[in-house]
Amino acid sequence: MGLLDALFGKKKLKSASLDRLFALPTARVTLEVECGLVPAGAAAVVFKPMSTSEFARAESETEQLLDAAAAESGSKLERRTDGYGYVWVIVHDPDFEDLVTSTHVVSSELQAHGFGEQLLAAAFRFDRDERPVYLIYGYKRAAFWPFVPTGEGQERDNALELRVKGELDGVLPMEQDLSRWLALFDAPF
Amino acid sequence: MKRKAYGRSAGLSARMALTMFLLGLLYVVFFIVLVQLFNLGLGAVIVLMAALLGLQLFFSDRLALAAARAKIVERDEAPELHDMVERLSAMADLPKPRVAVIDSDVPNAFATGRSQKRAVVAVTRGLWQRLERREVEGVLAHELAHISNRDVVTMTIASFFSMVAAMLIRFSLYSSMFSGGNRDQNQLPVWAIMFIVSIVTYVLSYILIMAISRYREYAADRGAALITGQPENLMSALQKISSDMVRIPQKDLRQVAPMNAMFIVPTSWKASFGQLFATHPPLEKRIARLQEIALEMGRPVP
Repeated sequence: MGLLDALFGKKKLKSASLDRLFALPTARVTLEVECGLVPAGAAAVVFKPMSTSEFARAESETEQLLDAAAAESGSKLERRTDGYGYVWVIVHDPDFEDLVTSTHVVSSELQAHGFGEQLLAAAFRFDRDERPVYLIYGYKRAAFWPFVPTGEGQERDNALELRVKGELDGVLPMEQDLSRWLALFDAPF
Repeated sequence: MKRKAYGRSAGLSARMALTMFLLGLLYVVFFIVLVQLFNLGLGAVIVLMAALLGLQLFFSDRLALAAARAKIVERDEAPELHDMVERLSAMADLPKPRVAVIDSDVPNAFATGRSQKRAVVAVTRGLWQRLERREVEGVLAHELAHISNRDVVTMTIASFFSMVAAMLIRFSLYSSMFSGGNRDQNQLPVWAIMFIVSIVTYVLSYILIMAISRYREYAADRGAALITGQPENLMSALQKISSDMVRIPQKDLRQVAPMNAMFIVPTSWKASFGQLFATHPPLEKRIARLQEIALEMGRPVP
């Protein structure tokens, strides 16, 4: 199937897989005790909007539903478009489990409307000695990886990233292929 | 054959098609000489051809980068470009390819590499400067779609089969002429017949490979539309690139000429050699297909 699709150039985009997002709350203790990562109460779903009216409708429906859900659970929502045209739905919630649930709702709503392919990643912010450390979930990879910007230009703290990965192996589904560790230097939260 | 408003550099286009054609012809002549001089069997020749093409494939990234004088750039040299490539490859579920920049004012881009892990995406300085960010993104997505479709491997294998076919026809002719024994004085000399047959099969297979190449371009355009979700960006990029191509002096164009098959838009459009010999489909056909895809994408989900 995949080979034939590639041969005839009919390859489709891989769709998102969301289930493993829910593994994150179970890793919270490891994150805090072994890695020193304290949840910062913020996360974001990053997706690439499509230029079709159907997508715009799905997006606005998702937004309404989210606002209703957020009002109920007490999380705050923010929406931004970055310099590359990707949309960031940023969730603020002091409760870590609610935070994960809210990001799951955002992505599953988009997927329910048939736009799961457009999901790029979810990013969860943690703090470590006053510095941001992100745990990124790749929807197409169904795996997590750490992202630690040093704050100097586009540099990442690879040593810390690899240590975090080492601690989380076996606790969370971690991305083993380092060439897939997408960076999000312009994370607006 | 239709004349296009943008197909003004007819002489250049003909020169380039001729170059590519002669390059392939050199391969065929090389093997004919090998066979005649060393009396190699068909099997040995095919193995040798496979080995040569294998080498060409294995070094495709280095060869292409050197030929286009492209330089690999690290993240700190081109952070925005790296960001775009990285995100698009995540959307396409590809490992991040290496990124290279060509010091040329002609807006263009290409992808190469024997595998998805060894892939390189190269863009010219002109592409980055003359196009808007969202258009550059469309072009990058087109190149990533080439990587995703494994087009370097596909095209190498396609040319291998066409060469084997040419060899087989030549050999079968050769053996039938010597086993048939029914020769009279009026016939053309054996070498002349073989020469003509070789050329004809070569021309046919060349046309076929160009057709495959054009088909892969449509497929990559489609892939780009899916990866970005915005086919109109690639449309406007293609329009901008091809109109810029005509305005730029030919001196610049000639420098990038041998790389044509891999570029997003050939450095000039087919003219005197006709559509059969073009590596890329004409602009208006690509735009029309992208419009169809845009319609398709806008349809309600079943």
